[in-house]
Amino acid sequence: MPSDSSQSNPTVASRPVYDSAQRRHPFAEEAYELWRFRELVLLWASRNIKLRYKRSVLGILWTLIEPLMLLTILTVVFSTLFRFQLERYPIYLLSGLLLFDFFSRTTLQIIEEIVASQGLASRVYAPRTVFAVATVLTYLTNWAIALIPLLAIMAILGQPFSVALLTVPAGMILTSLFALGVGLLVATLGASFHDFKLTYQVLLTAWLYATPIIYPLEIVPEKFHRFFKLNPLFYLCETVRDPAFLSTVAPTNVWLIACVVSVGTAILGWWVFTTRRGVLEHLG
Amino acid sequence: MSTLAEPGHQPVRRSPAEAPAIQLTDISVCFEMPAERIPSFKEYVLRRLTGRIERRQLWALRDVSLEVGSGEVLGVVGRNGAGKSTLLKVISRVLHPNHGHLVIRGNVAPLLELGAGFHFDLTGRENVYLNAALLGQPIREVEEHFEEVVDFSELREFIDFPVRNYSSGMLTRLGFSVATMIRPDILLIDEVLAVGDARFQEKCLQRINEFRSFGTTIILVSHQTSEVERHCDRALWIDHGKVAAFGDTQDVVAHYRRALDETDEEGL
Repeated sequence: MPSDSSQSNPTVASRPVYDSAQRRHPFAEEAYELWRFRELVLLWASRNIKLRYKRSVLGILWTLIEPLMLLTILTVVFSTLFRFQLERYPIYLLSGLLLFDFFSRTTLQIIEEIVASQGLASRVYAPRTVFAVATVLTYLTNWAIALIPLLAIMAILGQPFSVALLTVPAGMILTSLFALGVGLLVATLGASFHDFKLTYQVLLTAWLYATPIIYPLEIVPEKFHRFFKLNPLFYLCETVRDPAFLSTVAPTNVWLIACVVSVGTAILGWWVFTTRRGVLEHLG
Repeated sequence: MSTLAEPGHQPVRRSPAEAPAIQLTDISVCFEMPAERIPSFKEYVLRRLTGRIERRQLWALRDVSLEVGSGEVLGVVGRNGAGKSTLLKVISRVLHPNHGHLVIRGNVAPLLELGAGFHFDLTGRENVYLNAALLGQPIREVEEHFEEVVDFSELREFIDFPVRNYSSGMLTRLGFSVATMIRPDILLIDEVLAVGDARFQEKCLQRINEFRSFGTTIILVSHQTSEVERHCDRALWIDHGKVAAFGDTQDVVAHYRRALDETDEEGL
């Protein structure tokens, strides 16, 4: 033993102690660790946003232009081809499309981030949900920016700006929870099978067409409605679309279902991710 | 340092200075892998349905027990794949052991792969913040020590350039500076002392010695037994995931060398 091992360390009493016997259940442990690393979440999200804008020439402008271009294409295709009678279709379409765009990008990117962080996580200790939550924050910021073109189109088409619009952020937060839950579920699979992302991409395309976003539910025969109402995105869409398109707050039962489904999915995803992760780690 | 202190949920010890910094009891780590690689989701589902998935277990560590006293310098020797790096990963909490009990007193700074997590499109400055946060340092600490980090790395002129333009030497210099920004209670070194040129390496050793004199516990993994002999108070020899010898540096290193010579003679 060297002489300095007996030297008293003035800060020793405040040393953090990690005792594996006192570990909480992985579900709680991960939540606790995420909170401890909250600054990393914010830094990681701002890193993602910075990189996104550094890489594209138009930078932040692109976030504004992209939805408008998509909108133009879909408006031309669907309102001339299918000719359903929907006044102010662009508002209907864009408000739902931004939600779906957020959902699909977030969940796909969570798979990517979790897979990429496997390399990092084998070298540096950091809770893995950091990368999932940071991804949600990244695309949530993006979604908020993309609301500017939506508001501009509402102004152009003479849609009144009602107080109901104030409930849109709540719908966005619920959608974020849902996206986090689904993202963690698909990332658990995506981390083990590198082809899962492709399977999921196909699923997402089907999901888009199964949700009344490009078309109104009214064009679907009444008897099929109950199937459409099994889709969580149907309710989440209403929470952010009704204030923009109908200038009303979504019905209470829609909010209730959206809340239960989003929180439930987030908990389920967190559970599966945190309890299965140890197994996945050891799969190598 | 109380940078990672979690007030309120750690047991209060009457004489914390005497408690060992690291206590491992019967630690085992098992890597479970499919006997054949099944990379495809479709294939996995198919095989699951037909019930044909075999797994092979690989024990990287088996029943490893050891205690490292506060302020001690422990050298770890062993052949490639013996489990040395796995041991460091368990101590840095990157890997959860399958079995066993682990107590770590103090914050751990791993010098495992310097600059792991650097992003090439971001500037040196941005990477310092990001890397420090990855290592669990609070932002206010980074702000406080930022100038020191830059000075130590000798990269002041380049700090606002993307690290894409850095040489590998510059990257490890910055990585070392960030990882050792705050004196850790426990420092893990995995053959990374080749940091930049000889002069900078000298500077790093100086910093490590400084930590040591202030009571930092150090675990040094090295293939060079002479390095272990020179720096370490005690040594650990790991072979096939098990403790082959643990104790006096000279004895352990002598044992290890003899074993190496023997296997050489067998023609391995």
